[in-house]
Amino acid sequence: MSGSRTTYRKRLLQARRHPLQTLLSVVILAVIAWIIWSTGSWLILGADWSVITENLPLFAVGAYPENERWRPLLWLALLCLITAVTLLRPLIASKWRISGLALSWGWLAMLPIGLVLLAGGAGLQAVTSRNWGGLTLTLMLTGFSGLLALPLGILLALGRRSKLALPRHLCRVYIDGLRAVPLIAVLFFGQLLLPLFLPVEIEINRVLRAVLAFALFAAAYVAEDVRGGLQAIPSTQLEAAAALGLGPWQIQRLVLLPQALRVAVPALTNQAIGLLQNTSLMAILGLVELLGISRSLLANPAYIGRHLETYIWLAGLYWLVCTAMALMARQLERQGPSSATSAIPS
Amino acid sequence: MTIAVRAQSITKSFNGSQKALDQVDLSVKHGEVLVVMGPSGSGKSTLIRTFNGLEAIDSGQLEIVGIPLDTDQDERQIRRIRRRVGMVFQQFNLFPHLSILDNITLAPIRVKKISKINAEERAHGLLAQMGIADQAMKYPAELSGGQQQRVAIARALAMDPELMLFDEPTSALDPERVKEVLDAMRRLAADGMTMIVVTHELGFAREVADRVLFMDAGRVVELSDSTTFFTQAKEERSRRFLNQMKH
Repeated sequence: MSGSRTTYRKRLLQARRHPLQTLLSVVILAVIAWIIWSTGSWLILGADWSVITENLPLFAVGAYPENERWRPLLWLALLCLITAVTLLRPLIASKWRISGLALSWGWLAMLPIGLVLLAGGAGLQAVTSRNWGGLTLTLMLTGFSGLLALPLGILLALGRRSKLALPRHLCRVYIDGLRAVPLIAVLFFGQLLLPLFLPVEIEINRVLRAVLAFALFAAAYVAEDVRGGLQAIPSTQLEAAAALGLGPWQIQRLVLLPQALRVAVPALTNQAIGLLQNTSLMAILGLVELLGISRSLLANPAYIGRHLETYIWLAGLYWLVCTAMALMARQLERQGPSSATSAIPS
Repeated sequence: MTIAVRAQSITKSFNGSQKALDQVDLSVKHGEVLVVMGPSGSGKSTLIRTFNGLEAIDSGQLEIVGIPLDTDQDERQIRRIRRRVGMVFQQFNLFPHLSILDNITLAPIRVKKISKINAEERAHGLLAQMGIADQAMKYPAELSGGQQQRVAIARALAMDPELMLFDEPTSALDPERVKEVLDAMRRLAADGMTMIVVTHELGFAREVADRVLFMDAGRVVELSDSTTFFTQAKEERSRRFLNQMKH
C-alpha cells in the first residue's frame, strides 16, 4: 500500500517538473472521455434501433414466405446449437464429450439439412432460391462454396505438385489466372455474362451460380494454402510411406494430406472468414443476403437516415459469426497428437 | 538357399557428377545378415536404397527377392518389391499424426488388405516382441527415440517381409538408447531374418553379421565374412577404417 502511495507521489512530482507532458495527457484523456460520452449517449439516447428491432426476421431469413419462416429459423437454431456444442466441448468431462468424428459429420450434415429446409421437397412446400435471404443466405453461400472449394483446392494443390507436366501446368495456369482476377469480376461473369453464353433452355439458378463462382475463386487460394502445408511435410514421410508399399494416392491421402491440412488450418481459417465477408459482394449483384437485405431496408422511407444503426448492427453480426469461426478453428488446431503429448500421462 | 538380393555392376550418380555407386556386385542369400560399412559419403545408404527403389540405378541389373528391378523403374514392379522388403530409417520416420497402433497397421490394412482386427492383433504381438507392448495407443512424439525406432522396426515387420533393410538405425539415438534397438535387431537375426544393415556399430557387426561389405567412394572395397574382416581385413583401406573406428 505504502509502496504504491510513494510511487504516486513520485509521479505527482514528475508532473510538476514536466508541465507539457501533463497538459498533453489531460488533453488526450479529455478527447477520449468526449468520444466515449458522445458515442455512449448516441447509442442510448440518439440512436433509433427500430430499424433493427422491427426487422429481425428479415435480417435472419430475408423475404422468405412468412408462414414458412420456421424452416430457415430452425436451421439457424441448429447451427447455433452445434456451434455451442463445439465451443463448449473442451469444458465437458471427456466421458460425456461427443467424439470429434461425430461432430465433424454433424457439421457436414448441416449443409444438406439446410438445403432441404430452405428449398423444400420431402413433404415441405417448395420455396425458390429467389426468396432466400438474410443471414441464412449468407451462411448458405459461405458453407456451400467452402465445401466445394476445399476438395477442389486440394486437387489443384496435388496437381500443381504432380510429376506429370500437363496437370502441373494446367493447375498452375488455373491458380495464377484466378488469383490475378478480382473476385467481383468473377462474380459479374457468373451472374451477368454466363447466362448470355448459355442456351436459353439452360437456366442455372442465381444462388447456385454465386456458389460456383465463389468456390472456383476460393479454390485457387485454398490450393496455395494446402500446397504450403504439403511443402512443410519432410520428404522422409513420403519415403517411409512408399517403402511400406503404399500407392501414390494412398500416400497423399493417408500420410501427407492429413499432416498438411493440419499445418494449413490457420491459413484455411483466413480463407473461410474472407469467404464469409466476400459473400456481401453479392448485394451489389442483387442477392438479398445480409448486406443486401440491409440495403433494401434502408431504401424504405420509414427508415430513412438509419444508416449508422444498420451498419453497426451488421458489423456486430459479422463480427459474431467470424469470431465463432475463429474460435472453432483454434480448437481444431489444438486437437490431435501434438496436444495429446501433454494430455496423456506416461 | 535362395537369393534375396542380386546386384550386377550397378551404377548410380547424382547430378551426373561423382558416382555414388560404381560397378557394385553383390549377392545376399536368404537368412543371411550383411553389414555394410564405410566412411560417410561412400554410397552405403544409396546402395540399400536402390534395393527397394527409393533410388533408381543408372545402369546394371538388380534382382530383389526374385523380382527384377530395371533402370526404367516400373512402378508396379517396385511396389511388388516394397511389399516384401521392409526398411528402417535413421530418423525413424514414423507418421506423427497416427497412433503407434495405426502406424503399424496402416500398410497391412491398406496394402495387404488384412482385416483391421487381424492387423491389430499382429501389431500388438510385434510391439510385445519389441518390448513396448504398453505404448500402442500413444503417438510417436510421446516416445523416446529408442522406442520410436523399435516401433519403426515393428511397422516394417508387420508386412511380413522376406528382407529387412536398415539404414543407420542407431545413428540418431542417444548412446544409452542404442542397445535396446540393437537387441531387437539381434533377436530378429537370431530368428533367421534376412538383413542388410548399414551401421557404424562394430560390436553389432562382429557379433551378428555373417559377412561385412566395406565400401569407399561408391565402390566395393572388400566383402568378407565377419571374422576375417575384423581380424585380418584383406584391404589396407578397410584396416585403416577399422583402426580409426576403434579409437
